[in-house]
Amino acid sequence: MNAMKMTRLASAVVTLTAATLLTVPALSAQQRGSDPEHRLNLTWDRWLDHDEIGERMQLMQRTWPDFLTLESIGESYGGREMWLMTINNPRTGAASSKAAMFIEANVHGNEIQGAEVSLYTIWYLMENYDRIAEVKRLVDERVFHVLPTVNPDGRDYFLDGTGSGARTGHIPVDSDGDGLFDEDGANDLNGNGVIEQIRKYVPGQGSYRISLEDPRMMEAVGPGQVGDWELLGSEGIDDDGDGRVNEDPIGGYDPNRNYAADWQPNYIQGGSMNYPFQLPEARAINDFMVARPNIAGFQSFHNSGGMILRPPGSAWYGDYPASDIRVYDEIGETGERMLPYYNYYVIWRGLYTVHGGSIDWTNDGLGIVSFSNELWNGGQYFNSPLLQGQQQDATSPISGQKSRFFFDDLLEHGDEYVEWAPFDHPEYGAVEMGGWKKLSGRVNPRFLSMELFHRNMAFTLYHADMMPKMSMGETSVERVGGDLWRVRVDITNERLIPTITAEARDNRVVAPDLITVSGGSEIVAAGWVGSKLRPGPTDMIDQHDLRRIVLRTGAPGRATKTLEYLVRGSGTLTIQYASQKGGTVSTSVQLR
Amino acid sequence: MRNDGKSGRWVAIASTLLSLAAMPLSVSGQNASYLDFDGLTRELRSITGGSNLASLRSLGTSHQGRDIWVVTIADPSGPPVAQRPGILVVGNLSGDHLVGSQLALEAVRYLVGAGASEADLAQHVIYVVPRLNPDGAEAMFASPRTGAGGNALAFDDDNDGRLDEDGPNDLNGDGVITVMRVADPMGPYMVDPDEPRLMKHADAAAGETGTHSIYWEGLDDDGDGFINEDASGGVDLDRSFQHDYPYWERDAGPNMVSEPEARALMDFVVASGNIAAVVTFGHSDNLVTPPNGRGELADGIGIDLNTFATASNDDLWDVGVYGVPRQQGGLRLRGAQPGSDNDPNSGRRPSMTVHAADQEYYKAVSDAYRDITGITEIALNREAHGAFFQFAYFQFGVPAFSTPGWALPSGDEEDDSPAAKGDARLLAAFERAGRDAFVPWATAQHADLGAVEIGGFRPDIIMNPPASELADLGMKHGQFVARLSGMLARVRIVNTEVEAHGGGVFTVSADVVNTGRFPSAIQHGVVARAVDPVTVQIQIDPESILTGAAKTHQITSLDGSGTRGRVTWVIKGDPGSTIEIRLRAQKGGSDSVTVTLR
Repeated sequence: MNAMKMTRLASAVVTLTAATLLTVPALSAQQRGSDPEHRLNLTWDRWLDHDEIGERMQLMQRTWPDFLTLESIGESYGGREMWLMTINNPRTGAASSKAAMFIEANVHGNEIQGAEVSLYTIWYLMENYDRIAEVKRLVDERVFHVLPTVNPDGRDYFLDGTGSGARTGHIPVDSDGDGLFDEDGANDLNGNGVIEQIRKYVPGQGSYRISLEDPRMMEAVGPGQVGDWELLGSEGIDDDGDGRVNEDPIGGYDPNRNYAADWQPNYIQGGSMNYPFQLPEARAINDFMVARPNIAGFQSFHNSGGMILRPPGSAWYGDYPASDIRVYDEIGETGERMLPYYNYYVIWRGLYTVHGGSIDWTNDGLGIVSFSNELWNGGQYFNSPLLQGQQQDATSPISGQKSRFFFDDLLEHGDEYVEWAPFDHPEYGAVEMGGWKKLSGRVNPRFLSMELFHRNMAFTLYHADMMPKMSMGETSVERVGGDLWRVRVDITNERLIPTITAEARDNRVVAPDLITVSGGSEIVAAGWVGSKLRPGPTDMIDQHDLRRIVLRTGAPGRATKTLEYLVRGSGTLTIQYASQKGGTVSTSVQLR
Repeated sequence: MRNDGKSGRWVAIASTLLSLAAMPLSVSGQNASYLDFDGLTRELRSITGGSNLASLRSLGTSHQGRDIWVVTIADPSGPPVAQRPGILVVGNLSGDHLVGSQLALEAVRYLVGAGASEADLAQHVIYVVPRLNPDGAEAMFASPRTGAGGNALAFDDDNDGRLDEDGPNDLNGDGVITVMRVADPMGPYMVDPDEPRLMKHADAAAGETGTHSIYWEGLDDDGDGFINEDASGGVDLDRSFQHDYPYWERDAGPNMVSEPEARALMDFVVASGNIAAVVTFGHSDNLVTPPNGRGELADGIGIDLNTFATASNDDLWDVGVYGVPRQQGGLRLRGAQPGSDNDPNSGRRPSMTVHAADQEYYKAVSDAYRDITGITEIALNREAHGAFFQFAYFQFGVPAFSTPGWALPSGDEEDDSPAAKGDARLLAAFERAGRDAFVPWATAQHADLGAVEIGGFRPDIIMNPPASELADLGMKHGQFVARLSGMLARVRIVNTEVEAHGGGVFTVSADVVNTGRFPSAIQHGVVARAVDPVTVQIQIDPESILTGAAKTHQITSLDGSGTRGRVTWVIKGDPGSTIEIRLRAQKGGSDSVTVTLR
């Protein structure tokens, strides 16, 4: 973080501390009937830049210090802190002892609203911990790591600047192969903060015309026809004097193609950079996750399209084992019911082929059940069967391109559009510039944010609730002769996701579950009981060290298995089940 | 729990004990002039210290804090070093391949010495990373020596939740780890009837019955029923790069370029776009035998006896597997949308073979290599999954080569007898040369297996030639690098013409030529979009160009051996004024001329 930012943040914190003190009288005013009362009256109708995200996270951390820990997991290429909030109730165990859900967003600089979903998630869980029993249970059982913006350089470039070409990170890349880096990007020539489109009036020589339906719209003329207008691309000039315009803008890669499963070189997967985790942001996230093998759920918020995406990102990398797909399908199909207009898709099938994306890595390389939600679906502009019917009718004012102008004119009061206006361009001469602003299209209108934030958070909380959770159930002890005992214990994974996915087992990327025994003088045999209710064979465990049984297949979801020991000795026998992703549980029995 | 602090301390203590235990053992004569890290560093400092042609710096440090040295060899009188065509030489990527670093060291000595005129160091730069894996190399100076090539990453090889808990044990105290054969009626192997020192798979179809099992020399230290399944020593760096990466294999690391040593090299390469060819000294070869007509490398040559020993741990992954058998998922084609992007068969695959258009260069370089070094047959050849030189060709887009760097001793290519194949070929060749590469079987008592015989190929000698050969071999590899530098692309502007049309209108032409043997971009470099096009740029306002080429004219690739290209602009300009024309080839140097409009 540079000095200027630090100063700005520090002063903001001072201001906010004062504001926190001032909320005490505000709270008592609320008590006249506000429902519910809030500790922090945050608004959710603005898009926050990186400093504001940091300020809001600090404010929340100060408000709920018992539960929230704020840290920076590294610096972006541009020197911005990567703020990460951990939500954990220390009274129910250390953050490393429970299954953890990792939530990240905004890896593409222009895909901003996931950061607000992330912040809303922290705020909602804390505000409602004492009020809604189900929220309390979730917070008490789980850990959440929340990283609102993976690409803070891109976010600020999008929000503070024109927003043009903000998808990338900011490591300089020579996009035009001339040995120079980022030397010719778009230029805001008229200084209105928007990179507009350029059109030039060329009577009888163009391939576009102005629409008769709305003079703001341009239409391509048909084959064999000529128009009076030509489109000349985005606002900009030939900065480096090489005869080309806007050919090497800032960055020029895809920060979500730099992960290490199915990573492919640039000519197969554009924008992948030179090797996995070359980007400081991707590397910081991976280092954080590798150090926390208890992370069992992962969500990466993107925009847009209204999708609940699961890996893999490419077909020819192969699909996952059937037992893993069953888990994905159940969560994804439930998500479709929680998120109207969203479809549950495999990435390559529903979106497009992605090599080296983050959720391929977290699934294949870290053994984490992972989704990526594409926030916001254009269907939500006119979200009723009546209006969607009208959109199909070419004569309706909300069909085709017209719908966008209709919505902007009447629901956003023209906030998202810049009218065409003449401009004298240094290379193109007399032209007109105009078009849509950066927030139009992929980012939801602000007034629809609350629903988007809440529904996507709710899906992620549901996903978190499906993470494995181990428990020990009924035990029995039976003397079979002398000092030999038959001990049985029920071992349960209470939730849908297994402690070790089949893919993780194949790739050997999650440590096996371990069942250890202390007490007794000798473990004579151990095995899985077929049925406790009727006699039958026991599946003997053929391992050398029965005091430390290795389970590469882990504990499947929503299942109870009965483990049986034949043990010699007396006194207390303690049996512990340890899993990286489903927690460690133990139980004791008395040999008597 | 790879980063668990407690286990880390335990490992540190264990390795201290190991090196203390190793101290009384004498280093064998064979390794007397192979250099450990301190020795290599001293030599590099000594060669570069007094030379104005060479400089030494560190690219980064290994897990255990050793520097990864790079020597930059260039005559400072030429153009800026970063703009010159360069060769990168890397050695000792696999820890056990010590010879690689010695060849690199001797090549440096040769190139900065008097005999390097062929390298034209005023126009070229040669980068040499003699020892990418200093931790793995250092393990070859401790006892016992193993054939493991990994770095010092602590890694749970057998995925049992414990780190490095069952390494090899030098049961016969000879300072090297070989293998054990055990009489076992259930075993799949038998003594080779042609050569009783060797073992073979019993062929049931031929009426043979297995009589032996084979293991690596060691104990079941952790009592899990397997021997040597989780030794210390982590990632073989020459299996950790991005092309044809062996995903999830134990010695390839958690992911591509995961290791600090690999990352240091990769960051250097990415920042050095002028590197125009790569040579590695390692376990794989494409120099003695160039890619075939389909662009494939020669088959691997391994040691059967060692493969048998490694296979003794194959059952490891079946332990702890319970429940329903694993099923591969049927694709549920949800989200089907029209369009080729969503077709499961669509999508470009990475190239896996050397491009047909590039094969002639591989052949020419191989001829030069065989001619200079005299090496026509090698002992062992590892399949190049995740090898650095493969990255350099398939992704960095330059001609890239690898060689073990020394010949099979007393090889006999004409010999078609059974002894000329497999392990027997190695045994015979080393024996003819009088090299003690095979530890004779001797009976020992094993804690778990009872009576065993210990013997087999010495991992040090089978991978590295005698120290007495290093100076000569290294000089020849220096000569080879010098020869290779002369084949790199070199672009120049050789001719310009100006024709006046009156009214301030001129036709300006420039002829560019590549005098090197290689094209400015080999064909796969073009396919992979890894090499910038050759750029010819006229230094005037773009609006002054009336017709003809664009201000910045790009040539995808300019062939070598004197191939010319002409660029023509028709421009408006002031008579008598001068205009500069610039030429840049990312891997072939740059040039500039000034013409006068008249």
